[in-house]
Amino acid sequence: MNKIISNITLDLFQSKAILIYGILLAVLGWGLFVLESQPEKVILAILQINLVVLPLITSVFATIYFYKSSEFIQLLLIQPIKRSRIIWGFFSGLNLGFIACYLLGIGLPLLIFYPTLASGLLIVSGLFLSVIFTGLALLVSTHQQDKSRSMGIVLLIWAFFSFIFDGIQLWVIYQFAEYPIEEGILASTFLNPVSISRIIVVMQTEASALLGLSGAVFKDFFGSMVGAIISIATLVVWTVLPYIFIRKRFLSRDF
Amino acid sequence: MISVSKLSKQYGNQVVLKDVDLEFAKGQSVALIGPNGSGKTTLIKSILGLVVPDEGKIEVQGANIRTSPNYRRDIGYMPQLSRFPEQMQVRQLFSLIDDLRKGEDGIEKDLSLYEDFQIDRIARKALGALSGGMKQQVSAALAFYYNPEIIILDEPTAGLDPVSNEILKAKINRQISLGRLVVVTSHILSDLDEICNHVVYLMEGKIYMNASIDQIASETGEQKLNKMIVKLIENKNSDE
Repeated sequence: MNKIISNITLDLFQSKAILIYGILLAVLGWGLFVLESQPEKVILAILQINLVVLPLITSVFATIYFYKSSEFIQLLLIQPIKRSRIIWGFFSGLNLGFIACYLLGIGLPLLIFYPTLASGLLIVSGLFLSVIFTGLALLVSTHQQDKSRSMGIVLLIWAFFSFIFDGIQLWVIYQFAEYPIEEGILASTFLNPVSISRIIVVMQTEASALLGLSGAVFKDFFGSMVGAIISIATLVVWTVLPYIFIRKRFLSRDF
Repeated sequence: MISVSKLSKQYGNQVVLKDVDLEFAKGQSVALIGPNGSGKTTLIKSILGLVVPDEGKIEVQGANIRTSPNYRRDIGYMPQLSRFPEQMQVRQLFSLIDDLRKGEDGIEKDLSLYEDFQIDRIARKALGALSGGMKQQVSAALAFYYNPEIIILDEPTAGLDPVSNEILKAKINRQISLGRLVVVTSHILSDLDEICNHVVYLMEGKIYMNASIDQIASETGEQKLNKMIVKLIENKNSDE
């Protein structure tokens, strides 16, 4: 088991793309603290990286890596190893690589320069987003034979959660402003891991203007602590659910 | 050693295997032949667990292959196209397999093909940089590496040079004399002639013929496998 995970992670760090990803995160994470004297602003800047850059890079990279590893996976499949162990090793190995990059590039400077609850939640939500979007990318890749089609679907998923979802929510809020739709908006927020991650972090900062309507309703409804716990529980569901479907598909797939 | 019953597989609308029943025994060397698209590779991949059949059961050494992956310890497989991780070096490939199979006891590794093909010379090369034939050599050495009881070779001779081809055939013959089971697919019937004692002919996903070479020889009165097959097919066609 550990052999597969360590092999994937080591192989990952041989590719230039993940090194560039790590360096990019490190430059942003460490650089922002050096350049900006107000840590509150740094938190918000890193939040933007978490919400937009992180999902994009992890999901695109995971898709490329899955197809690139098809030979490796086939080599494993003819060994006396269970398929469930292979996909678990692949999933964890890949995530471990991303998580290491994130912790070194973003997590460490946050903990050193601004060790607060907001920083902690920022790191946690970033890690969740990294795993969730890796999972979504693998979910698509295991169901598709064609790499470019997978890539298209993955980018669409990213765009949907990053801005299309917000747009739709905003449109609904405008159209139905006369009606009591707060609870509906609140419930729909749980359908988007990116929105949840934003709300968890912003609730802890002074910048509540960034919460938007859904966030304001959220804060009003749950209060910050209960809200954070429920949000994290939702992120856990978002992490586990794709993996269950990836595993199911991988066990019955033809190679 | 391998028993296949009522095996069926469909890709979309295309039926690849239909109700295939087969028994392979110890000491047999089976030539699995048939026209392109007859289901040979799908049959092999089903035995290896790479393809999940729609229906039917496969047992290897008495154990249903769906219950545990351990039956693959006894199978060495050389695929039709050897595809390896491109950046991995040859020696890393072998140590990876060692790593993965560590903890299996009582295994004596078989390095004879590794030595005969002089794979040491290319041990530090990346697998992506090897020529097609060299990849086939690595693939063949890997198939025999863990001294398996069952050896499955899918078009093994296609990319090999004549010398390597002979080395591989000699190796296969040694395994047969040790009482191993060998299953080979190939279109080059003259190669199969020297290594096989049994023929399974697949056509459109069904077994068209399953007999020992001696049996076919006495039926057709021919000595060479390719002549036997041609004659048999002609005979069957004229019967119909």
